[in-house]
Amino acid sequence: MTSWFDHTINGLIIGNIYGLLAVGLALIFGVSRLINFAHGSVYVVGAYVGWVAVSVLHTPFPVTLALVVILAALLGIAIERFGIRPLAGAPRIAPLLATIGLSFVLDQTVQILFSPDPRSVPMQLPNWRLEIGGGSIGMLDLLIGGIGITAAGALFAFLKLTKWGWAVRATALDRDAARVVGVDVDQVNRIVFAIAAALGGVGGVLVGMYYNVITPTMGFEATLKGIVAEVVGGVGNVPGAIVGSLLLGIIESYGVALLGTSYRNLFAFLLLIAILVLRPNGLFASRHQLPPEPMTGTFIAPSKPIGLPVPLLAALAAFAIALPLLIDNGYLIQTLTNAWLYALLGLSLTLVAGTSGQVSLGHAALLAIGGYTSALLAADYGFPVWLTIIAGGLMAAGLGTLLVSPAFRLRGHYVSIATLGIGEIVALVILNWESVTHGPIGVAGIPPLEFFGRPLYDTNAIYWVAFAIMLALALLQVRLLSSHLGRTMRAVRDDDVAARSFGISLNRYKGLAFAFGGFVAGISGAFTAHMYSFINHETFNTHISVLALTIAILGGMGNVGGAILGAVALIGLPEVFRIAAEYRILLYGIALLLLVRFRPQGLLGTV
Amino acid sequence: MNAPVNASPITTAPLLEATGLVRRFGGVTAVGGIDLSVFEGELVSVIGPNGAGKTTAFNLISGLDKPDAGAIRFAGANIAGRSPEGIAAAGIARTFQHGRVFANLSIADNVLIGAHGRLRAVRPDWPIIGPLAELALALVRPASVRAEEATLRDEVSEILSLFGDRLLPRIDQPAHSLSYANRRRVEIARALAARPRLLLLDEPTAGMNPTETAEMLEIIASLKARGQTILLIEHKLDMVMRLSDRVIVLDDGRKIAEGKPQAVRTDPAVIEAYLGHGNIGAAAPAGNAATAAPTLPVTA
Amino acid sequence: MISRRTLLQSGTAALLANSVGRSIAAEPTGEPIYLGVSGPLTGPNAQYGAQWKQGFDLALDQINGSGGIKGRPLRYIFEDTQSDPKQTVAVAQKFVADKRIVAELGDFASPASMAASPIYQRAGLVQFGFTNSHPAFTKPGDFIWSNSVSQADEQPLNATYVVNKLGFKRIAVLYLNTDWGRTSKDHFAAKAKELGAEVVASEGYQPDEKDFRSTLVRVRDAKPDGLFLVSYYADGALIVRQARQTGVTVPIAASSSIYSPKFIELGAEASEGVFTNARFFPEDPRPEVQSFVTTFQAKYGKEPDAFNAYAYDTVVLFGQVLREAPNLDRTTIRDTLARVKDVPSVVYGKATFDPQTRRVLGAQSAQLVVRNGRFTLWDGVKTN
Repeated sequence: MTSWFDHTINGLIIGNIYGLLAVGLALIFGVSRLINFAHGSVYVVGAYVGWVAVSVLHTPFPVTLALVVILAALLGIAIERFGIRPLAGAPRIAPLLATIGLSFVLDQTVQILFSPDPRSVPMQLPNWRLEIGGGSIGMLDLLIGGIGITAAGALFAFLKLTKWGWAVRATALDRDAARVVGVDVDQVNRIVFAIAAALGGVGGVLVGMYYNVITPTMGFEATLKGIVAEVVGGVGNVPGAIVGSLLLGIIESYGVALLGTSYRNLFAFLLLIAILVLRPNGLFASRHQLPPEPMTGTFIAPSKPIGLPVPLLAALAAFAIALPLLIDNGYLIQTLTNAWLYALLGLSLTLVAGTSGQVSLGHAALLAIGGYTSALLAADYGFPVWLTIIAGGLMAAGLGTLLVSPAFRLRGHYVSIATLGIGEIVALVILNWESVTHGPIGVAGIPPLEFFGRPLYDTNAIYWVAFAIMLALALLQVRLLSSHLGRTMRAVRDDDVAARSFGISLNRYKGLAFAFGGFVAGISGAFTAHMYSFINHETFNTHISVLALTIAILGGMGNVGGAILGAVALIGLPEVFRIAAEYRILLYGIALLLLVRFRPQGLLGTV
Repeated sequence: MNAPVNASPITTAPLLEATGLVRRFGGVTAVGGIDLSVFEGELVSVIGPNGAGKTTAFNLISGLDKPDAGAIRFAGANIAGRSPEGIAAAGIARTFQHGRVFANLSIADNVLIGAHGRLRAVRPDWPIIGPLAELALALVRPASVRAEEATLRDEVSEILSLFGDRLLPRIDQPAHSLSYANRRRVEIARALAARPRLLLLDEPTAGMNPTETAEMLEIIASLKARGQTILLIEHKLDMVMRLSDRVIVLDDGRKIAEGKPQAVRTDPAVIEAYLGHGNIGAAAPAGNAATAAPTLPVTA
Repeated sequence: MISRRTLLQSGTAALLANSVGRSIAAEPTGEPIYLGVSGPLTGPNAQYGAQWKQGFDLALDQINGSGGIKGRPLRYIFEDTQSDPKQTVAVAQKFVADKRIVAELGDFASPASMAASPIYQRAGLVQFGFTNSHPAFTKPGDFIWSNSVSQADEQPLNATYVVNKLGFKRIAVLYLNTDWGRTSKDHFAAKAKELGAEVVASEGYQPDEKDFRSTLVRVRDAKPDGLFLVSYYADGALIVRQARQTGVTVPIAASSSIYSPKFIELGAEASEGVFTNARFFPEDPRPEVQSFVTTFQAKYGKEPDAFNAYAYDTVVLFGQVLREAPNLDRTTIRDTLARVKDVPSVVYGKATFDPQTRRVLGAQSAQLVVRNGRFTLWDGVKTN
């Protein structure tokens, strides 16, 4: 059937495009063991440099490409020098967060300089097309494929044949050992970031020309797909990244062919999870590899937590309770209500990521599960709201733990990638499971919060209830942490191999962490749904997952007080920066970078 | 075969018996068909040059790695290929070559983790209900749970007192703040808290100075005197000679000798293996390997 | 503190923006009247907020240039929300507490706008959604209003155009898989079936989707004789480009939301021959349209698009409401919205609210086609 041929060709074409980013991500991961969330931003910068070259400077195509390569490479070097290298001694979570901060800063800078409007990038190649199957492919398709394969080939040769390539591989294998035998690791990193960024930049301009549209926000989605492709090919495996990209493209294309367009990303993320569970080293890794030697305490910063005296905490709580009586400011009270709800999310993630070491990047999915459960039960089936909120918490605990359980066997960055994928899957299922979730229409007319049967509209009343729930669950979490469970979960985080050798079943304790954390997050999502009165699949999106992680890290991993402080700071900061209008997210990104740079263990320290 | 020192005379089956253990990594055979047994109450040492397969064998026994071939019987049951937590539950506790303490946990908590398997709350391992009951017990914390925790804490102090005042004054400090030698001590304390039937010690004195080594020797000797069954990997031969009931010598993934310490010392194959490798291990005192005596050099 | 400084800032911004208008006539000098605007200036929807501002500023130039509201200038305070619900609820509290604000406009996307509705309803401040076509948007209560064209009104017009005039009998629909796109598709499909056409394929796609080749091959296999797009201009442009690359040669029509000069810029030659049914059209001879288009071009040097028009229309509407309102109480504003009749509107021609649904009925539409790189009135030719 001719259509299957066409679907295959289409899959290869889009896979081709994923490849341009995946190769750079693979290279950086291979050497620096870092998921570079700023890579998509380099791609955006490349696209805009290309736009300036084509539309303002009117450069011919080779000059356009050369400009993009040079500027993107310089940007890559700058990212490495100022964003990543100062964190060399920090725990590995710090550079991960730094790349997220960098992506905010870069995307916002582009948006401020070039306006958020989509722009067209005129094609600079003759528009000849090759008829193939029922459709056609253009010169640009071949060029993108050519550049992807050439780049992968050249990189492969560089890595295998040159002295610097040897140094890069040595650094990838064991950074400290490489340093000992005289490899200039900084120089290696610089080279790797320059190459990866140049490739990413070229990717941006070519994709811009291909689609004839560029926007400052196109980087995030591109990074996501690049990461999926990279994992499929085997993280750090450069030729694997190309094959992984093509495979991802084909699977998405077949997914669309079989079930329809709205299932496309579902296929992509299911592929990601399947690969992570079945072949975590990628499709091409040899089966018999040495079990990775985990390095004790390298993912989370060891630190001495700052202990706040109980009277101070009690005074702060009393102040928080009295606040609505002291000042009449609905805006402040609402912002703090949001902060308490995000503190619940922070508590949940700080338990899962901080205490148990499972750095989840899909935590918004727990809010979504809690929110939808409560909203649907109350709006469609008429259950009382207090009951549905508890049901939301329990559903998030149960379903969340079940969904994430395939990732229990993973560690380190793989957990983050897997949970990111699981979060996307939850959002896509909500979007597509119309008979239950109302699909894209969302759930409207969610009944308001209630307190012993009385509807709760008053801003102050909602504030007090939110604070009371937050405080109660925070105290419960403190109690959990002081029990043998807290000790056990922290042992799992610090060294899972040693923990298992003392009879600690990882699945059991990771499961308990997700169950308790899921309940807390589910309550937050459910409360939020009733406060908003309307939710849809976009209400709890990936950006919220990133925010949750930022809250947990800012406060100090595993630190209950830190999660609350982090939530107040991160919900409050954008409001404080409101005076800066369009610059506020830029400032937020910079604040994040400074935090990671100067206090990676968080404000109150890791527990 | 030697009669175990502290075992009851009617015990015939060894506590641990590994037969034909094989483990390959890619093309390299790390362990190529080792037989190994430990009787109740015995202290058996495994020695051999670096890369001989000692730690790999430990990993196979403790379940961190799975053998490609061979059987491991412990207290009558086959444990080959079981999970590390399953093997821990069966009664084996270990320390690690490079020291793996829980860096952010206090000394007390590190040692309490050793007793994890003995907690009543963790015992029922039914799916879902077991963990939820454990969660409920942890949050409600009835008197029985509190009493158990208090007893364990007393026991922790008792175990730590084994190391004199090395650890006790620092009991609430996080492990990452400790010296290397103290971390190794914490590891042993943690393993003891499990009350294992078999204790696997992987180079307990690596990185220790002579005074600390001597101290450790006394501690291990006292454990042995209490009847603790121990399988020991050690490079410091003087220590091996003084402590062991039996010594097993590995080279290139194979057992080349086994027997009483004195017999092994004079075994030509053993001497050949050590001399052939130029030295007997990173931790051995410098200069010893050059002594081409018919017995293995021991600084006693 | 914060609110005062923000206010000053926005006030200054509004002053700067109004400088063009002031050169025409003297700025009124009374205490300004404020509209609160909650919308995206950063984040993934930032371009829409930027387009709103252009429409608002143009309308304010005209209102303030012709004496303002009873001698007082009209201004707006734009709070960036990134179209994020947790920020819209905070901004809602801010506006509700700011007694100078007489009504609120926005937010952009439904989850963000509707999260704030209970707060506005409860406090008795009009929330006026002008891009909120979600069928449930106005339901939270009598302070929630919208002049966003109801898809129940617009899509039958599209279906009639496509089926009766263009002769599509087997239609493939590609729609943005959001509440708006989904509602639109359903109304379109229902009317198309009623008119005797068949919807042979319908494909919902994600807002950040860029690759449509596989979707289009799937659509091609359904053997449609016409494609209908429920899209915004950026994704619509991507689809028409890729349609031709995947061998889809049937004519393409799209809902009015693609109406933007950007559609032609981004779609380039592939946009040629695409049909649409726009709510306003620059060459429409009606005076309200002509005055909007010429002044917009004079101020910004480019053609306005649909979002510029909605924003402009909304402020013009509030100009009239505020002039007619006996006082500036928030409740009076609500009551006056129900009373105003036949407000000149770029989108509707004359806008009048149905007090029951709090929406405007009777969208205007002009049947257009892209010829020679411009939207032109449909010339009766059925193919593209």
